[in-house]
Amino acid sequence: MSAAKVKMREKKMRNQPASVQYPSSSSNVESSTQNGADAPGTGENADPLKGGLSEVHPSTERKKKTPHQSGWVRGHHKDGGGYTKEMPKYITAGAFARARAAEVSAMLKAVRKTTSSSHVFEALPKHMRRRAMSHNTKRLPHRLREVANRMREKSLQAGSKKKKEPAKSKSRKARRRHGNLLLEFNRRQRKNIWLETHIWHAKRFHMVKKWGYCLGDRPTYKCYRACYRAMSSHCLLQDLSYYCCIELQGDEDKLVAALSQLTSKEAGPTFAAALCLSGRRQGSVMVYRAGRYPSQPLGPVTFLWRPRTQGSMHRQLWIWAHPTLKQDLLPELQTVCQCCEAVIPPAAPVEVNPTLEADSEPENTPEAKPVPGTKRKRSRKDATGPPAKKILGDGTRLPSTPVSWRSSSNGIVINDLTMEIVRYRLIGPQSHSVLVDTLEAATGCDEVQKSQTCSLWWPQHCSDEAKMTLHQQQADIFNILKGIYSTAELPSGTVLGLTVDDPRLTLPRKRVKALPCVKQAQEVDEEKRRKLMLEGVPEPCCQSFIWEQSVRDNVTDNKISEQELNRMRSEVLVPGSRLSPTPLQGRVPILLVHQPGKQVGHEMSSWGAGWDLLLPKGWGMAFWIPLVYRGVRIGGLNMSLKHSQNKAAPHFPRDYPDCPAGMCFQEEQEAELLDKFKRHPPAKRTNYIKHGCVAPFRCPWQQLAEEWEIIVQEGGSQAQITAQADAVTEERTSQQAISITKPLSRFTVLRNRKALRLLSAWCRPTTSKGQRPCRVGELPPISCEAVTSFLSAHAMSLVWVHVSLLSKGKPEYHAMLCVPTPEDLKALGNRQGTGGPQEPPHRDHFKSRIKRRKKDPKKAATSSVTPDKPDGKEAELIFASDLDTNASKDPKSFSESSSDLILGLWPDPLPSVASHCSRVTVGWVTQGDFSMSAGCGEALGFVSVAGLLNTLLNQTSEHKGKLLLRNPTSLHYRFAKINIEV
Amino acid sequence: MVRLKSRYLLCEVNVSDRSQLLLLDDRAIMVAVKAAVARTHGDYGAAMCSIRFCVKYLNAHTGIVFLRFPKRCYKLLWTALPFITSIETRGQKIPCFLNCLHVGGTIRTCQKFLIRYNTQQLHRMLPKCKSEEEKQQVRKAILSCSLTESKEAFEEDSESEEEEEE
Repeated sequence: MSAAKVKMREKKMRNQPASVQYPSSSSNVESSTQNGADAPGTGENADPLKGGLSEVHPSTERKKKTPHQSGWVRGHHKDGGGYTKEMPKYITAGAFARARAAEVSAMLKAVRKTTSSSHVFEALPKHMRRRAMSHNTKRLPHRLREVANRMREKSLQAGSKKKKEPAKSKSRKARRRHGNLLLEFNRRQRKNIWLETHIWHAKRFHMVKKWGYCLGDRPTYKCYRACYRAMSSHCLLQDLSYYCCIELQGDEDKLVAALSQLTSKEAGPTFAAALCLSGRRQGSVMVYRAGRYPSQPLGPVTFLWRPRTQGSMHRQLWIWAHPTLKQDLLPELQTVCQCCEAVIPPAAPVEVNPTLEADSEPENTPEAKPVPGTKRKRSRKDATGPPAKKILGDGTRLPSTPVSWRSSSNGIVINDLTMEIVRYRLIGPQSHSVLVDTLEAATGCDEVQKSQTCSLWWPQHCSDEAKMTLHQQQADIFNILKGIYSTAELPSGTVLGLTVDDPRLTLPRKRVKALPCVKQAQEVDEEKRRKLMLEGVPEPCCQSFIWEQSVRDNVTDNKISEQELNRMRSEVLVPGSRLSPTPLQGRVPILLVHQPGKQVGHEMSSWGAGWDLLLPKGWGMAFWIPLVYRGVRIGGLNMSLKHSQNKAAPHFPRDYPDCPAGMCFQEEQEAELLDKFKRHPPAKRTNYIKHGCVAPFRCPWQQLAEEWEIIVQEGGSQAQITAQADAVTEERTSQQAISITKPLSRFTVLRNRKALRLLSAWCRPTTSKGQRPCRVGELPPISCEAVTSFLSAHAMSLVWVHVSLLSKGKPEYHAMLCVPTPEDLKALGNRQGTGGPQEPPHRDHFKSRIKRRKKDPKKAATSSVTPDKPDGKEAELIFASDLDTNASKDPKSFSESSSDLILGLWPDPLPSVASHCSRVTVGWVTQGDFSMSAGCGEALGFVSVAGLLNTLLNQTSEHKGKLLLRNPTSLHYRFAKINIEV
Repeated sequence: MVRLKSRYLLCEVNVSDRSQLLLLDDRAIMVAVKAAVARTHGDYGAAMCSIRFCVKYLNAHTGIVFLRFPKRCYKLLWTALPFITSIETRGQKIPCFLNCLHVGGTIRTCQKFLIRYNTQQLHRMLPKCKSEEEKQQVRKAILSCSLTESKEAFEEDSESEEEEEE
């Protein structure tokens, strides 16, 4: 019986009389313990009786004490006191009478009190009960009222004790008032920054808090396929403003020299690539810690040089990095540039921007206040309160935190432009038509406006002839874009600077779908278009005023508010017509950056190309809504993952396991998946041990690389691998046990272009149909010597592979990539229909251990302290008798790990990951899905270079590069083809 | 309401030597009843007696016993009770017979009856007392046969509840 039940029963039986009898002698003790289920216990009365026995009236004694220790106790109650053996020898009338009297009073008590007794009115006979008696005590008879009142008060108190009274909040109307709403929003984004489109997203997306931002993960509506179609045939829009921009200023040669420490030419073009350096193209590069090229990568960044201005070597460079990368990158940049001198921002911080109203009414801006954004009348009244001002830019940063650093030695200045620039990404072949439809090159201003002197930037620029011609050129090029068939036709990374009108002015009344108008544009200029497609944008046109801090601030500060704009619209004579003349504030400098699509591989070349739109901060929503009105789909983080997956490109930070951010991501993911796993009831969990999946929630790359290195060193062939791997594991564990201080060579991801090209050629089948024998001839064919020399350099490396399944199957993340045995390949050659080999189910030796522990928690606790020999031996026996698993574990670790066992998961330390299953594992999948572009399951992942080469050496030419793929929750291997795409 | 219905028999154990009464315990009575039923009604009776039969209460001083029988067959079992002539307990055989005083549907009614019966007994005893001392004692006993006010009982109740909560 559970404790609660016992308690309830006790409460119920409190007033019931217990049997009065002398305790049975010691010989009968057993019999009374065997009492029937309903027989009342005997022991509880022992205490009063003992007192009573010396005198002749035991029952009166009993009566005195029963209220204190009443209740029926089941079975034999030992602590009731010692048993007395002797019986009274005679009996008197007085004793007789007392016994009766005691019984009567006990019975009286039992009769008077009803069993459940929590409510007063239960004492009443049924016919006197009334409706709602517990609420209204006046319905009770007068004699019970007082008690009932007291009990009611008590119960009310108990209720309030549990539930804390919520703080009285303001009325909804007050809360929704604009100023208060902004205050609330500012409070809520103190921890996680909101993007400018946050509220738009929050209404439509599942938001996640990641990397210090609130980001939309996926829409709440069903649009997976629609988003894919948008990416492949129209346009998908994403807000990438959370990417961090770091600005470097300084002399060109000094900057290039400093940055060259971070990169290596072996991994592709660096910061100094000629096209990028001119400012015509955006480049992307893998950044390493200074001077640590292969071993310590940081992550990928994209960068953009500002085009040269005449006669000046002073250059500006923007480096765009993922927020998880920024914290590593920024210190690294500071060291290579020797910029340690923080420039303290001026008293009025940069990100503070007086609003339009504040400009027109200067008395509203008290200078002493840190945030002079008091445009509300309310805040003028109570100036002490925090200003209700929408935070633009990075709200989490303290105003005193330095955002720029200067070097005294080489004059380089680093600025942290996080959240200063809004970045939208348009993906899809029609993204240029969306842009052309939405944006319009800025109209000039007439003479009257020019003559006015005002603080706005555009009239000043209009008076400068050179700037106007440049603007004209840029506008021309932008107009040529109309005639292009697909975004992918442009050279990748093209940059176009532009100044545009406020897109809100040309907002269509209904949502329309932007379509290309090739026909109409064909007349424009065939020649110019071809030039654009071949050469990209000429250098001067890549210039934009968005590079200049002053212009950016000016534009941000002078943005017309939505309210003002609507007022102006309402004053137009013909409703719905365009505002004319265009208000002066509505000119925005922007930068359009072409994003390359799929660059690797043969199929679907340049899929997912698009444009990035860079805007000054504050203009986010002003551009977002017009873009949305052009019929684009909006994607979240989920879609950007799918985008990179279809592009076969690694996605940061998921697919960079050797970078600090990637490692951090892996840990987070493991914790998340484990948490999800534990949320299932144990009977509904997948038993990964039985599936032969050692690490379902993470990929132990380091262990894999180490194991394969040792296997290859000992020159293993297919048959011996398993046996060796066991030895390796044991060796490894013993090594770990003995000396952890031994410097471990860490695994790296192979990014050396030359090596990758070689590998790619090697794993391509030489006699495949329909494939060009491209450039293979120049490279050395695969042989033992070539492989050994290759491995000497890259033994501890992983290589990024693209896996496509040959038959059915949908790969999932953390699926295993295994080496097929020659028999498997033979079977594949005979019949295509066979799905692939099966993994024999493994046995879960930990299950019994978990059960035992559950049964006897105390024993388990002790056994975890003292290594229990018999258990270990037993386990060893099981292992020995096991058919398929060659997994061996020393009993020591077996008993140690019993404390943190989870059913269905291997406890640490893991057994040999390479040779755990019947097919040898060479790698894992990091992202996989059914690919809608290829029409079959496709996955991306890493394999160990050593393992891959070992496999390739043993494979015949027709089956080169064929591996097996197995999901963690399945026992079925599927044949898959790996490609290394450079 | 839906419940398992039983009959409660309020019996008095009559013995010749009253001091032997103190030897009784509920288990002994149970065994004796079962044996008697088996003897008079055979296996059928024994089976009836094994279901839901129990001794709910026994007062060794007064010899009062509550027996619970299933309602379905209480008459059958009841008929076996006169055949009990002795109860074996603690190695002794106590010659006795059971006298059924009351049959009730609930324990509560039996308790109520018992109260009435006992007070009646005491009242009958009072005039028969031989000595003054005895008389005093019986009188005192009669006076103690009533509970105090119900209010106090409730208070007691609520106090104990509070204790439980803490």
